[in-house]
Amino acid sequence: MTTPNPSPEQRALIVEDEALIAEELKERLSRLGFSVIGTVDSADEGIAIATRELPDVILMDIRLRGHKDGIQAAHEIRQQVDIPIVYVTAYSDKLTIERVKHTDHDGFILKPFHRHDLQSTLEIAIERHAIRQKRRLQ
Amino acid sequence: MSLLFRDRLPLHVAVSKRCLHLILTASLVAVGFVFLSPPLSRKLLTTSFLPHAFCYLRNPPLIWTHVISDALIGFAYLAISITLGYLIYRTRRDIPFHWMFLAFGLFIVACGGTHIMEVITVWIPVYVLSATVKVFTALASVTTAAILPFTVAGTLELVQQAKITHEATARLRASEERKGALLREVHHRVKNNLAVICSIFYLQSTHTQERQAIEIFRDMENRVHSMALVHESLYSSENLACIDFGEYAQHLAKDILASHASPEASVRLTTELEKVTMAVDLALPCGMILNELISNAFKHGLPNVSGEIKLTLRKAPEGKCTLTVEDNGVGIPSDLDINNSRSLGLRLVRLLTRQIRGSFELIGSNPGTIANLQFAVERNDYA
Repeated sequence: MTTPNPSPEQRALIVEDEALIAEELKERLSRLGFSVIGTVDSADEGIAIATRELPDVILMDIRLRGHKDGIQAAHEIRQQVDIPIVYVTAYSDKLTIERVKHTDHDGFILKPFHRHDLQSTLEIAIERHAIRQKRRLQ
Repeated sequence: MSLLFRDRLPLHVAVSKRCLHLILTASLVAVGFVFLSPPLSRKLLTTSFLPHAFCYLRNPPLIWTHVISDALIGFAYLAISITLGYLIYRTRRDIPFHWMFLAFGLFIVACGGTHIMEVITVWIPVYVLSATVKVFTALASVTTAAILPFTVAGTLELVQQAKITHEATARLRASEERKGALLREVHHRVKNNLAVICSIFYLQSTHTQERQAIEIFRDMENRVHSMALVHESLYSSENLACIDFGEYAQHLAKDILASHASPEASVRLTTELEKVTMAVDLALPCGMILNELISNAFKHGLPNVSGEIKLTLRKAPEGKCTLTVEDNGVGIPSDLDINNSRSLGLRLVRLLTRQIRGSFELIGSNPGTIANLQFAVERNDYA
């Protein structure tokens, strides 16, 4: 199995309120060569850790514990720091897709997913972010 | 009549348009006649015997003003009563008090008649006829005036009822929307729970190194995934009760392909899928059967993970449809008896085929295998 970027080890944050799905994501990310710096289930915790720890990628569920959802969390994180965010959600209804379209993000995976969805989406997200950074430096 | 339907307008609109045209044309001609051709108009007024002219002070502009206005009023009244008559004719079964509208119509026609008589009597002294029309108008007016008060209570009730109906419709629509949102939520929850089950299978599979065990967990995950996908298709569908199975099959096949993907795998998927709408109670077993058939093609048909899988969904006569999964792999063993096979995949296919009252056959097609499922859709087709 290939890793998106084998060296140095990429750090990932998981924001997901279903403990078992979070655990699966953690397991799969580890196998893809990521180090998972945390698994949280609320938007506020996600925002706090993301802005403090600055992970290389964030996997964000849309429905979360608490009054804020993943789309709001992603918006707040991106206002403060530029970290690639990939939504991982069971929602694929028109309203959610419409809301997701209007926020800054780098990928979208529908649950239940297959390992190849996860791998390719993460690769693309990290690559897009790298291109963005390069452009900014120029 | 063909002229009336020229613009494909409803008859009453066409009739009113035509009446309006007539009235406007008549008034334009009349005005033109009076103002653009004074000699002619004077001639008409001076050479003829004018029984009514005395009343109009023998003043030509005054006479013409009366004539034109009366003619316009008369035609307009006629047009109004035609429209009203047509309305009553079309709604005679639905509209209460249609006799009241009839009285109105009659009253308006009569009023129009008196105005037309005013025009005629400028030249022709038919005062008896004019009086008769007036008597008739008087009767129609008095009758309408007399019956109108009796309809007030009913009309008020009608307005009230319309308001109540309107509110009830709004309430019904709101409740439909709530129901839709609730159903979507239920499908989402079901799908989320199935996703959790998939996670459990995956997590369990990470605790073993045994290839066969890993494959079992992957098969279980795919089976649950095939069900989850039905719920996903459902809550994205319009009516929340049916899905487009062709679209579903495409999605499922791609997911199964992804689950079997490995660096050395090179299986090509081709699809030929018609739009077949299915209710959820049919889509779930069908989805699971399809999952088994595609997985079988992978595991047994193409064990060296290269080849081609072709998926076909076609509508057949008598509300049936045919689902076919073909592979160009090693083919089925000649001694395979699908009714007594120990393979769980085939057992599931057999059981679910019986559940949907379908028929299933596995044909060796040198090279490869053709799995053919036929079943009735109509019975469950609510769309």
